[in-house]
Amino acid sequence: MSLTLRIALIVITLIYMFLILKSIRNKKISVSFSIFWLITGVALIICVLVPQMIEWISNKLGFATPSNMIFCITIFMAFYLIFNLTIILSKENQKSKLLVQEVSLLKKKVENLEEKINESKKS
Amino acid sequence: MKEKVLLIIPAYNEEENILRVCKEVEEKNPKIDYVVINDGSKDNTLNVLRENNLNHINLIHNLGIGGAVQTGYKYALENDYDIAIQYDGDGQHDVQYVDTICKPIIKKEADFCIGSRYLDENTSEFKSTFMRRLGKNIISFIIKLFWHKKITDPTSGFRAGNRKVIEEFASDYPSDYPEPESTATLLKLGYKVTEKPVNMRERVAGKSFVTIGTSTLYMIKVSLAIIVDSIFRGKNKKK
Repeated sequence: MSLTLRIALIVITLIYMFLILKSIRNKKISVSFSIFWLITGVALIICVLVPQMIEWISNKLGFATPSNMIFCITIFMAFYLIFNLTIILSKENQKSKLLVQEVSLLKKKVENLEEKINESKKS
Repeated sequence: MKEKVLLIIPAYNEEENILRVCKEVEEKNPKIDYVVINDGSKDNTLNVLRENNLNHINLIHNLGIGGAVQTGYKYALENDYDIAIQYDGDGQHDVQYVDTICKPIIKKEADFCIGSRYLDENTSEFKSTFMRRLGKNIISFIIKLFWHKKITDPTSGFRAGNRKVIEEFASDYPSDYPEPESTATLLKLGYKVTEKPVNMRERVAGKSFVTIGTSTLYMIKVSLAIIVDSIFRGKNKKK
């Protein structure tokens, strides 16, 4: 890895982590979700600083090239993340369904009560 | 009938049908109550309901048929109904048969009674296409396979449940194409399910929920839901 590439990668990763921290501060993302993204940032910096480590691990594990290993890990992580997101989405769906139902039932009750009050006023 | 009976009528874009359906219920069977669940209709349904003073709940956001029907069950629970009946807002169901499907529940022979189009071919004028029959047969087969109970019309939306079923559905009801899945759930939890022959008409106006394109997906989802549910049957048994 050339020195310029390394420096470029480190700068990009630092910007990336800065953006994550900023969105935590602005409450755009909850801390628990951001942990995943921060870890990927730290991992990227380590990879850039000690590329020999990546080569060593991929050799030990039997990957043809280190880039194969990187792609493999990235894809698995992406799948895991998407799966998690669909679980969260389903939960949120359940919650919003419950909210719509309960609010609608309450509105119905309020309307009925209003009607009763109006009737008793008239009589 | 001294039991308090509620018709749950889910309606989505049914401005042409809903008034006629409700009037028919009021005229032919005035003893029973009904509640229309307006599932965020984009047409004039809500205005029709308001202007004619039909008993209704207006969902503040579209939930789909499952969520709408479940709201009806919640309403039935809150207002202490003994029997809740699902009844389509498009005029397919015949209100004369309400008593027919209530009977097994009043006599305590069953907890849940499905109005079947196929139990007695003579009763029903409903014209079934080949695809519809195929789909129905596959779902019937799967239910028979896992729960050893023959349900001739698992997709029927004309069904009556007692207090226990109302409580069950109010707390948990499947969302997308809920009829077969909820029937399987009841069988799994040990409720007594039965069927009575009813007449169903073709839709008079408006568009149907199920098209050819969605029906394949429907089949896959329903089968999957029932199968997964029975594989893990031990894990989520109710109290």
